[in-house]
Amino acid sequence: MSALQSFIQQQRGDREILLMTHVVYGYPSVDESLALMRDLLGAGVELLEVQFPFSDPSADGPSILHACHAALVNKPTLAQCLEDIGGLARDFPDSRVLLMSYLNPLYRYGLERLPADAVKAGVGGFIVPDLPLELADSFRAACQDAAVEPVWMLTPETPESRMREICAAASGFLYCVSRRGVTGKGTGAEQPLDDYLARIRTGTDLPLAVGFGIRSADQVRALTGKADIAILGSGILDAFNDGGRAAVRDLVKSLRG
Amino acid sequence: MKSDQGFYGRFGGSYIPEILHASQRDLLAAWQEASEDPAFMALVDREMQQYSGRPTPLTPCPNLSRALGGARIYLKREDLNHSGAHKMNNVIGQGLLVKRMGKKRIIAETGAGQHGVASALIAARLGLDCTVYMGARDIERQYPNVFWMKQLGATVVPVTSGGQTLRDALDEALRDWSADPSGSHYLIGTACGPAPYPEMVAQFQSVIGREVRQQSLAQFGALPDRIYACVGGGSNAAGILLPFLDDPEVELVGIEAGGRGKAPGEHSIRLSDDLGSPGIAQGFSTMFLQDDQGQLMDTHSVAAGLDYVGVSPILAHLAEAGRIRMDAASDDETMAAFGMLLRHEGVIPALESAHAVAGALREAPQLSPEQRVVINVSGRGDKDIFNVASALQDPEFTGFLQRYLEREAGR
Repeated sequence: MSALQSFIQQQRGDREILLMTHVVYGYPSVDESLALMRDLLGAGVELLEVQFPFSDPSADGPSILHACHAALVNKPTLAQCLEDIGGLARDFPDSRVLLMSYLNPLYRYGLERLPADAVKAGVGGFIVPDLPLELADSFRAACQDAAVEPVWMLTPETPESRMREICAAASGFLYCVSRRGVTGKGTGAEQPLDDYLARIRTGTDLPLAVGFGIRSADQVRALTGKADIAILGSGILDAFNDGGRAAVRDLVKSLRG
Repeated sequence: MKSDQGFYGRFGGSYIPEILHASQRDLLAAWQEASEDPAFMALVDREMQQYSGRPTPLTPCPNLSRALGGARIYLKREDLNHSGAHKMNNVIGQGLLVKRMGKKRIIAETGAGQHGVASALIAARLGLDCTVYMGARDIERQYPNVFWMKQLGATVVPVTSGGQTLRDALDEALRDWSADPSGSHYLIGTACGPAPYPEMVAQFQSVIGREVRQQSLAQFGALPDRIYACVGGGSNAAGILLPFLDDPEVELVGIEAGGRGKAPGEHSIRLSDDLGSPGIAQGFSTMFLQDDQGQLMDTHSVAAGLDYVGVSPILAHLAEAGRIRMDAASDDETMAAFGMLLRHEGVIPALESAHAVAGALREAPQLSPEQRVVINVSGRGDKDIFNVASALQDPEFTGFLQRYLEREAGR
């Protein structure tokens, strides 16, 4: 069992559902994004997803797209982002920090050297939405050598056979996209989501994380017993845009309610 | 040009979010099957004739050739397609494929608006719903095309993120496709994007080069010595150049948008002068204009259709392999070439195509009168009337617009 999976299972011993919250590195500034990350880790979220911004985030909706573009004005570097994650990982050893990025910034950094550097910095896993499993052989090998997990995604459009392939290749946890479309909009009806999660559950013992459109305590509660981790991305960002860090702290507190 | 599992050398592939995977696989299979079905390819050919007016002529340019004093110049007249650009070849092919797949809706991105208009036309003809994403900045530059898309029943969505040009429109089209992957078809307008788009679009466009081969043999009993094409996304270049890959005596030249200079954001040169570098974005791997952190950069061209940050993986590969020679023409050089062609031959090229004209005009004087060069006039220039009038600082045009507005306001 991978380190990330054992961490999740051990945390799940105390809690019915874990939280993974998402922050765009560098939005609205590097310092403010780091302060927000510290707030979230301080509030006890088990997993933090740090998105290194990209100019063309084609799987993200308007909120995250705008945050990425605003963050890029300050010209963030991946090397500095890794160093900053290192600081978070040292100060919050009871949580895990994952690096989310589109492929190109990672590719420019060097997909072969990234996993080892990231592990040194304390990164617990990678989420790369535009890297499909079948084109990831060398990256997976580098991750394996460095003992860090690439997290794979499943979607309601993923056919049965591919779901089996991805489950077989996955470690850490599975990122289950709750619906079609990009990040941000609401989730769809509940019943198809339940069926979808149940279908995945029959194929794997890995923890399941559910994301896309989750932004309320009710939604998180509704996932209890069906998934292990609720992912909040645009929900956190929209709260921040509406009411700053205080609004995010309130949101997280309400989710834990 | 057949790919190796979606790759051309080190470029190409299919780097897409998981949500699109199943639809991309369906498209791959549908294209594979259709491209091997002679009845389907015959249907595409017939529609190209009956709807778009193919074959387009190969027009000799005696006046221009005499004025330059070098090679004999010919124009491949893609501007004479229905809709006024080579874009029609691709939408006919993909449109018929969409019908074959049983989908009811197409999504398109557009830069200059030519592909948007072509998509709206084919959607009207084939009874498909059509949504076109277009950068807000491009809408400002090319409103007449937006007008026609709307008249044709298409929904035009302005894209206000990023640089508000073709590349942002492409991202937005991918987002739309992600929301309805099984019901909608993403009708990409150029030989870019994930597999099988580069191969498929290049295949539909290769009718251009196949005709040039036949017409050259018929009109002057030989193949051309050189062929010039402008390179934005790369579909007109792939279309005219790829059928000559195995004819080493034919030199293939691609002309990119040199814009206002070599500084970042001032041009769209990806394949020469070491300005581009390998990257993976927008669903595929190619040469991109990007910074040291892998962020895609803003681009510029006087021609909206060349104002793109990436380039077809097929052309990136052939340029790297040395089979296609890449060069660039600046905005100013392009406007000069535009005027030359206009006055000597009475042909109005699109500003995109005028880049290819500029490339050829620069080199033709050094060639001998026995040599023949073919320039792909990928589209017609009357759609550029506002930009051209502005570039030429035509005094009457502004007055005309003012009087037009006054008349409309008084109605």
